Amino acid sequence: MKKQSKWTALDIAGMGIMLAILEVCKHALDFLPNIELVSFLFIIFTLYFGWQIVLLSWAFSLVECIYFGFGPWTITYFYVWPILIILVMVLKRFGEERPLFYAILSGAFGLSFGFLCSLYTLVVGGIGMQLTWWISGIPYDLVHCVGNFVICLVLFYPINRAMKQLKI
Amino acid sequence: MKKSTKNLIIGLVLLVVAALLVGGIYITFGPQATHGSKGFVVNVTDSKGDVVTYDGKTDAEYLSELMEELKKQGFTYESTTSEYGMFITSINGETADYDTNGAYWSIYVNGDYGQYGADQQPVNDGDVFGFRYEKAE
Repeated sequence: MKKQSKWTALDIAGMGIMLAILEVCKHALDFLPNIELVSFLFIIFTLYFGWQIVLLSWAFSLVECIYFGFGPWTITYFYVWPILIILVMVLKRFGEERPLFYAILSGAFGLSFGFLCSLYTLVVGGIGMQLTWWISGIPYDLVHCVGNFVICLVLFYPINRAMKQLKI
Repeated sequence: MKKSTKNLIIGLVLLVVAALLVGGIYITFGPQATHGSKGFVVNVTDSKGDVVTYDGKTDAEYLSELMEELKKQGFTYESTTSEYGMFITSINGETADYDTNGAYWSIYVNGDYGQYGADQQPVNDGDVFGFRYEKAE
């Protein structure tokens, strides 16, 4: 007997649509370094679709690599977004759909983004290189923190409401 | 006050404290610029290995400011700004396209591979900067 796939055509189409939304939002704001909608979208998508968003994050990372090219830094894309998704899955029971809760989470993720990305340099060049790499990017992390916080605080309520109305 | 509201306020305060702490780390351990006039040398090594040298005195605090000043001596460059800082794409009309052939413009400071982007690299008296067209192996 043939084993039935857990994935329906609707799931796959939904993933494609979410990937398209992520890419459009990412590139629409590319001119503003570290002001991005991707963190917010991963939070919202994870709240509604759960663990399968880890796969979406890898698909997103793959498209980014095709667009920007492959390099030693490529590996960071594949673990940074899943960390956010894991945090949302673990902490959502405390969130109660409150915008401020997810704004704090998104801001903290933005603040630690450079540190998380610098972890690969620990392997390549040791602790000295990692700390130098992280510290030199701190101004961008602070912008990332404020940007993520404000975007999530402003957009969480209307987008969450829209998702509910779509009965996802 | 509800417990969840109190927890949110604590979370917000912790985020602000963490941001201040990280900012403090940058101020204490980040790249430090030197004020006043400084002597410098800038060597540009193109893809053929030909070297063009620029030298003089500057008040620039960061390499990106010095690069702007060097335009008076015929130096040209193009760059983009990404989440990782300033990224040099072209120097003296030669474009390094990583996606095409793995080429990039690297920065050397006093013979060592630079740890910062040009917009964060401090200029100190007597510094020798190198821009080299290199390819990833």
